[in-house]
Amino acid sequence: MESNITSQNGLEQPILEIDNLTVIRSGKLVLKNVNLTVNKGEFVGIVGPNGSGKSTLLLAILGVLKAQEGNIKIYNSKPMSRELYGKIGWVSQAAANLPKDIRITIKELVHLGTVNAKNMFSHTWLPMKDNGRNKKVKEAIEMVGLQGFENFDIGRISGGQRQRAVIARALATEAEFILLDEPLVGMDRESRNSLLKLLDRFCHDNGKTIIMVSHDLSAIRQTTHRMIFLEETIRFDGSTANFPDLESLAKLRGITHTHEQEMGQWSRELGDLKEER
Amino acid sequence: METGLGVFLADIFFPIFEFIAPYVPGETFPNFFNGNIQALQRSLLGSLMVTIIAGFLGSFLLVRNLAMIGDGLAHVAFGGVIIGIILGASTPLWYAMICSIIASASIYELQSREILTGDASIAIFMTGMLAFGLVILKLSGRAITTDIHSYLFGSQLLIDWESLDLISYMSLVSLIVLFSLRHALLAITIDPLSARVQGLPVRGIGLMFSIIIAIVVVSMVKIVGALLVTALLVTPAATAQLIGRSFKSCVFWTQIFGFLSVMIGLYVSSEHGTGAGSSIALTAATIFVMIGLVSGIIKNINPEKT
Repeated sequence: MESNITSQNGLEQPILEIDNLTVIRSGKLVLKNVNLTVNKGEFVGIVGPNGSGKSTLLLAILGVLKAQEGNIKIYNSKPMSRELYGKIGWVSQAAANLPKDIRITIKELVHLGTVNAKNMFSHTWLPMKDNGRNKKVKEAIEMVGLQGFENFDIGRISGGQRQRAVIARALATEAEFILLDEPLVGMDRESRNSLLKLLDRFCHDNGKTIIMVSHDLSAIRQTTHRMIFLEETIRFDGSTANFPDLESLAKLRGITHTHEQEMGQWSRELGDLKEER
Repeated sequence: METGLGVFLADIFFPIFEFIAPYVPGETFPNFFNGNIQALQRSLLGSLMVTIIAGFLGSFLLVRNLAMIGDGLAHVAFGGVIIGIILGASTPLWYAMICSIIASASIYELQSREILTGDASIAIFMTGMLAFGLVILKLSGRAITTDIHSYLFGSQLLIDWESLDLISYMSLVSLIVLFSLRHALLAITIDPLSARVQGLPVRGIGLMFSIIIAIVVVSMVKIVGALLVTALLVTPAATAQLIGRSFKSCVFWTQIFGFLSVMIGLYVSSEHGTGAGSSIALTAATIFVMIGLVSGIIKNINPEKT
């Protein structure tokens, strides 16, 4: 939080502003004094050890979890407020684990992204009042490269394809601001890379703003412009190029944190990363 | 003759039944169509309505992983029926409905607040309400009469105009609500959080759905019986999952299998006196096994085309 580079530039347009956020979940302090500003068109990666509050932060931004202290503003509105419906796309951790025994096609799944409080009845009773829904669905499917698979049911496609389908569903909402929670879990290297490329394109070509949470450090490093190391609070926030190496990171954490076990796991992950390179 | 939705529908459908009656096979089975015994005509109409709505609801229940809620609520409804009978109600189904709706909404609350899993809360309400009904029955000093018995196993001959009216209204309301909510319902089922972010009233829709389940189950109790409600609610939908590729096609196939189960079940029961509810349930299960075997064989022969 010391080096909030982009927000210092007055010309940027802030989409998300988090001010001194504190979240307590079932009696446990998960987030403390989190300050974060995200501007339009940014691709932000959030990393941190298990249980460091990454998902909690996303849920707080979405407004599912209430903050004990602090303020969150998205497009100058409070989370979950009416003005935000359809502006935020959410790709959950559970996406890869969509129940496989449900017979629903990719097209049907993506279509669900276009349903909202305003049109959920007209959707049903006035099917001719399309309002470009079908076009939206088609475009979203094309954007994630699933054209030709529209009528495949989600139980019978690969994990990578399913993740793309879920992302297409988020795109069909026409969201400008997309939050992804561990979208790379259970993906092979190839589909992981093409998904990252896809997200990168959304940012650059379509002007979407993306926050991606992952414990896959190398993936985040590969794609994002800005990285945040979160552990209860933001311990590093800056351009990806400046992300600290293992030792400096340990120092950053060591000062304030003493959880040996988590520390060990995180170091192991970083170790894996080194080998990969 | 009384007036009501049941009568209105009867005016439309009974002539159709009578028209196809000469082509209906069997010795006793045509009685469901030809109007010699009007109770049987009413029963056929009621069965068909209930099957349509049960199939539609069942498709959603499977998606929401709530297959057993039908059974649970049917037991609750049965407890409610006993209470109604002891209090001397002329239509004990109303008591059943109130009990079921309360139970269904409570199960939803317990589940969505993550206090209990769906199965556990269903089990508690199902046994609790049934036991309550039975204890009250003992206390009142009455025995299980044929009337009570008919709610357990269904009764084709006891579908009076009042019951048909009730079934018609309940089916119509449920059908309209389910049809209106179908996109939203699917959205909140597949991914509740995304649905909420999209601005769908997840809680309201969930509660509404719970109430609809209760209403549909109660409307089925009189026809197929409390013990066999799940057969029409879940089995056709499960069979459809074996061959359907999309949600839409599953809904379609559910209707086909439901219709077949009812028709074959009624035919068998009327020709051989095997009991309507149980015959329908048995037919539905048999269809499931047959389709399961066939689709399994096809998949083995041609695995990549699935």
